[in-house]
Amino acid sequence: MSHIHLPDGVLPVWLWVPGFIAAMLVAAVLFRFTKKEALSRRFPLLGMMAAAMVLGASVEVVPIAYHVNLTVISGILLGPSLIFLATFVVNVILALFGHGGITVIGLNTLILSIEGVFGYFLFHLFWQVSKRLILTTFIATFLALVFSTFAMIGVVSLGTSHYEELIHHEGEGIFEFHLLKDKGPHHEEETKKTEIHLGRFIAIVLPLGFIGWILEGVITALITRYIHRLRPDLLHLEKESQ
Amino acid sequence: MIQLSYLDYIAVEGKRFLHRFSPTLKIIGMVLVLLGIVTLRSLPGLLLLYGTLVALFFITRIPIKIFSLTFYPLIFAVLFIFISGFQIHFLLLIFLKVLCGSTGVVLLLATTPYPMIFSVLGRILPDSFVTALFLTYRSVFILLNILEETQHALYLRGGFQWRHPWRSLINISNAFGHLMIKGIDASEKMYESMLLRGFKNKIFYRGK
Repeated sequence: MSHIHLPDGVLPVWLWVPGFIAAMLVAAVLFRFTKKEALSRRFPLLGMMAAAMVLGASVEVVPIAYHVNLTVISGILLGPSLIFLATFVVNVILALFGHGGITVIGLNTLILSIEGVFGYFLFHLFWQVSKRLILTTFIATFLALVFSTFAMIGVVSLGTSHYEELIHHEGEGIFEFHLLKDKGPHHEEETKKTEIHLGRFIAIVLPLGFIGWILEGVITALITRYIHRLRPDLLHLEKESQ
Repeated sequence: MIQLSYLDYIAVEGKRFLHRFSPTLKIIGMVLVLLGIVTLRSLPGLLLLYGTLVALFFITRIPIKIFSLTFYPLIFAVLFIFISGFQIHFLLLIFLKVLCGSTGVVLLLATTPYPMIFSVLGRILPDSFVTALFLTYRSVFILLNILEETQHALYLRGGFQWRHPWRSLINISNAFGHLMIKGIDASEKMYESMLLRGFKNKIFYRGK
């Protein structure tokens, strides 16, 4: 739900390059501090959960571009450090599969991993309080998605000045082509009229997002119930129940 | 997603000139396309880039059914256009950037098998990350097989019906749950067989 579904070249370089660097740094730190043996043992599980997330993200509800992320359930099963690596892998594969946004892989990883990491901690926190599996999973997923969607809106709003530049300075760039464009005296008037409608973007994203948060919350809760029935050991809830 | 296996098949079995190019060269080409997307801000420039990519697509004779994949990211771009207040120039700019990116990537994938791309990436990225990419790629195909079986079971249990949304949601969630449990079981078996073959945190790929 909370991917930045933006094409390459829309976000400013000063935004996506640090995003890449930050994601790489977090991944490097996680690789460095995760025990090699544990990492090696959990590699196939990481691959499998990442594949499940790729499959979930590929089932799109047209025309509203909804898809389940399965990040929270993957976070619950993988833990907070491995879910970051899994989201990194998922974003690389999705970008390579034609979802676009190769340059925003870093930012997407940071945003999507918020879902997984927050989902994991919220799930365990609420479980200790309520012990009701479906309710716990639903609330944890809902809140995790709210956080990541606001993080996405925050990132998109950071690039406002760049969007203005794209709209106002038509034809300017490293390579200029003036085959079709003819700047007349009306150009300045038009420029004054154009503005960035971030509020409109938010007004569309939030209601659509709300439906998505509920849907993903319900689906994740039902998946958790199914897993709890067949393989309760995977959820690691026994220790907390005792 | 089912197209992934078809894309992989075309990349492996294709015999056109782009298939014979070295994967490194093609990845460098893709980086140049990305550079063009990031730097170009004029419609004719982007049109030229898109035209070149489309021409390459058809010269390589990649099946037309794959071409539809390049339009997929437009669904997401539609949401973004609200920011601009429907400025035509901005919309065309965004759409062309989307199409250039997706056509470039699909062209790369339809002419280069995934493992070859990963092995090139392995020269610059950490081994553990490339191993994770390989395992995810392998797992996608395992899960696709399981999904196919699950779809039959789901169909017999009523599948997805708009008239019964709650039951449909339960069916879909159970299918995903089933997919995950089967996938986790398969991952445990995969790990055991990887250990038997001497897996030590790195997968070696021997290309063509």
